[in-house]
Amino acid sequence: MNYKLLHIFRNTPFGRETFLQSLYFCKTINAFPVVYIPQSDKFLMYFSNDAVQVDLDNSYLNAPESAKEHADDLFEKAGIKPMYYTPKNFTASTLPDISTQFDYLCCPRSVSDISSKIGLGHLGPKVRRIIKHATFPVLITSPVFKPWKSISVFFGGSKNALNALKLGLKIAMASGFKLDIYTLLENKSEKQYRELAKKEGLENAISQLSNKWHFYKKPEFETMLYDVPHNSLIVLGAYGHGVIKDILLGSKMEQIQSTIFNNLLVSGPYCSIELS
Amino acid sequence: MSFIKHWYKTFYQRVFHLDDRLLLIIAGSLAGICSGLAAVALRLSLETMLEFLHPLRHYWWAFVLPAIGAVLSSFYLEKIAREGAGHGVPEVIYSVSRYGGLLRFRSSYSRLVSSFLTISSGGSAGPEAPVVMSGSSIGSNIAKVIGLNDRQRITLVGCGTAGAIASIFNAPIAGLVFAVEVILGEWKFVSIIPIAIAAVAGAQVSQAIIPEQVLFYHHPFQVGFYDVIACLALAVFAALISVFFTKVLRQSGQLAKKSSFPLWGRAIVGGCSVGLIAMFMPVVLGEGYHFIQSMISGTFSMGILFTFMAVFAKIIATALTLGWGGSGGIFAPCLLIGSLTGIVFHKVLLLFFPEIGVATEGAYALFGMTALISGVMQAPLTGIFLIVEITGGYETILPLIVVSSISSTMSHYIEPASFYFKELIERGQFLRPGTDAKILSDLNISELIETEYTCVSENMVFREFIGIIKTSNQNFYPVTEDHTDNYKGVIHIRAIQKYALDPGIHDMIFLNQIMQSNIQTASLENDLHEVLDMMDINNMDTLPVVENDRFLGMISKTRILDLYRRELIMQTSVH
Repeated sequence: MNYKLLHIFRNTPFGRETFLQSLYFCKTINAFPVVYIPQSDKFLMYFSNDAVQVDLDNSYLNAPESAKEHADDLFEKAGIKPMYYTPKNFTASTLPDISTQFDYLCCPRSVSDISSKIGLGHLGPKVRRIIKHATFPVLITSPVFKPWKSISVFFGGSKNALNALKLGLKIAMASGFKLDIYTLLENKSEKQYRELAKKEGLENAISQLSNKWHFYKKPEFETMLYDVPHNSLIVLGAYGHGVIKDILLGSKMEQIQSTIFNNLLVSGPYCSIELS
Repeated sequence: MSFIKHWYKTFYQRVFHLDDRLLLIIAGSLAGICSGLAAVALRLSLETMLEFLHPLRHYWWAFVLPAIGAVLSSFYLEKIAREGAGHGVPEVIYSVSRYGGLLRFRSSYSRLVSSFLTISSGGSAGPEAPVVMSGSSIGSNIAKVIGLNDRQRITLVGCGTAGAIASIFNAPIAGLVFAVEVILGEWKFVSIIPIAIAAVAGAQVSQAIIPEQVLFYHHPFQVGFYDVIACLALAVFAALISVFFTKVLRQSGQLAKKSSFPLWGRAIVGGCSVGLIAMFMPVVLGEGYHFIQSMISGTFSMGILFTFMAVFAKIIATALTLGWGGSGGIFAPCLLIGSLTGIVFHKVLLLFFPEIGVATEGAYALFGMTALISGVMQAPLTGIFLIVEITGGYETILPLIVVSSISSTMSHYIEPASFYFKELIERGQFLRPGTDAKILSDLNISELIETEYTCVSENMVFREFIGIIKTSNQNFYPVTEDHTDNYKGVIHIRAIQKYALDPGIHDMIFLNQIMQSNIQTASLENDLHEVLDMMDINNMDTLPVVENDRFLGMISKTRILDLYRRELIMQTSVH
């Protein structure tokens, strides 16, 4: 496989943590990290139905003379060949277009460097818009580099959740780590959730790659979150297609992102995941 | 909530999906109304602010007013709205060419605010390009909200543009023509109707809010045969002025970028310079509609020399405003420079031929305007219809057609790219529908790659390789490294004949000894025209595509031609 992850490099200690996370993710699933070192404080990403402008704060332009050197150094330590992205097209002279032809994108919880915004419970508006329109999953990293050793998929039965399940299986396949599936029983029974996965042709993959499918009753949501290993990569779907769901990431996703420090791999409504 | 969702789905499927054109007409009208409102808001706020600041212009320090406006404008654009710099129209054309008309929502208001700050303070610019940007963005975002595809979105961008131009000039035909001629670049039946409706909607909004129906009033002109002849010379003169204007505008911007001044420093330099010029030549201030009106009415009192100087003063003031930090468009400056050019020409004509029976100065101001608009934008139809509509002067249509055609042709001859297109052409991003560049840019390498190739190991013995060839019809065999699967080279079936014909060496050679490892490879990041250039330079019909040392497949001219033709048919079909 030849997957590529785009990382917007930030030459700060916080940026280093995020980049270490990208490198670890790529090394674990045999993907290639491609680093973009911003030359201006904004860039545009043209998705199929939206042009998302990402306004970076000044920390992204910090010490440009040492940015590449620092990135090279981290690449070298990870034993990965450095790859850099150079924008080819510009909407305006100071507004480069960044390609959306990547398989993953790594994002911190917020593109702001203000410490209050990088903590738990805050997911920046630009990160939300990217998730909403991206055709690739977005890796939202924990504030400090934290290697993950297992994969936890939150599966609620929706179309996006099925996508997330496929994504989790794909990551499990590539990394060799075991996968746990977590389902909160809301309107359906255990059997119905299993049927949903079966209908999508995921039965064999689940039996081969998953460790356990955990089911919780509706009031046990907090218990379910507590049971997720601290060193697990959480894979989940975001956004529905309804009127309200278009504004929020989805109530469960909001709760998860504001409760758990783990790395999150989020697939949005425009992600199409194929198990190959 | 589920009721609203259900209602929305039903309405959308039953009404909108019933007929593509009906959907575009409804959405286009909405875009026309919204962009018309935006244009009217800018026009009214400019009038109010210009009136408010008018008494201050008599003070000696009034020359700093344009600088204050430019500083506020550039600060707003860069730090608050965080827009990239630019006049707006090339950005709209770029978005239509490359990204199916996707425009940011912030563009629907940011240029309105920045151009208001620039023009109301006296900066030499027009409000038309900002309203075009705003209208286009409104159209694009309406398309986004109701989930339209690229083709429909481009039509709505045209609707927004047409509505904006129709509203600000109260000129629906000019709005329609400008949207199609300059922004979309193609006349398609399916898009013309919604754009026309949007133009009407924009003009109606303007008429409902602003009572004046015609931007520039005038008495009917008596245009004769000699005027048509004189217009030939005027068109050539205006074309030269157009090219000069375009060059000065561009070079001023480049000079500002090269200067060591910070953003606000540039705005101060540009703004103060405009203010100083205006102390001697007030005609350069703002959009200059008042002076245009006086020229058309025949009450403009400057002599030949001063009018001629005013042409260059306005050109320089506009270049200093737009190049050094201000925001706005070139429509209004074109109109003013054009009318000044027409007046100069008329005065010179009468100086040399005092007995000649030609129309009045006012008529020549109109001819000059048309010639300048057509020359700078290289959009002859826009020039003709705009002037006819904003003056209501249909009796001048024949000379207008002559000046417009000759001026745009002459300008194109001297400078092949118009002001709006020049930057895009230089960046290789001027992609009009149905052109080679557009088709190549719309084809993605990933859809052209043929992936069904059997890879062979670099350590494979030649005899084993012959066994593979027997069961396959590939012409190329990619060679990979054993443990890493990294691409090492390629074997062309034609290149191994000499080894195949000598059975004695079949067990003695390995594939890494006969593979071609120096063949240029393409990657997914290459544009298609780059791939074709590689093929031409290396005289090859097929290239391996390699990404991160992994072989992805082969790309061939045959496959490119197949998809090129399909794309060409799609882009040039009647609908």
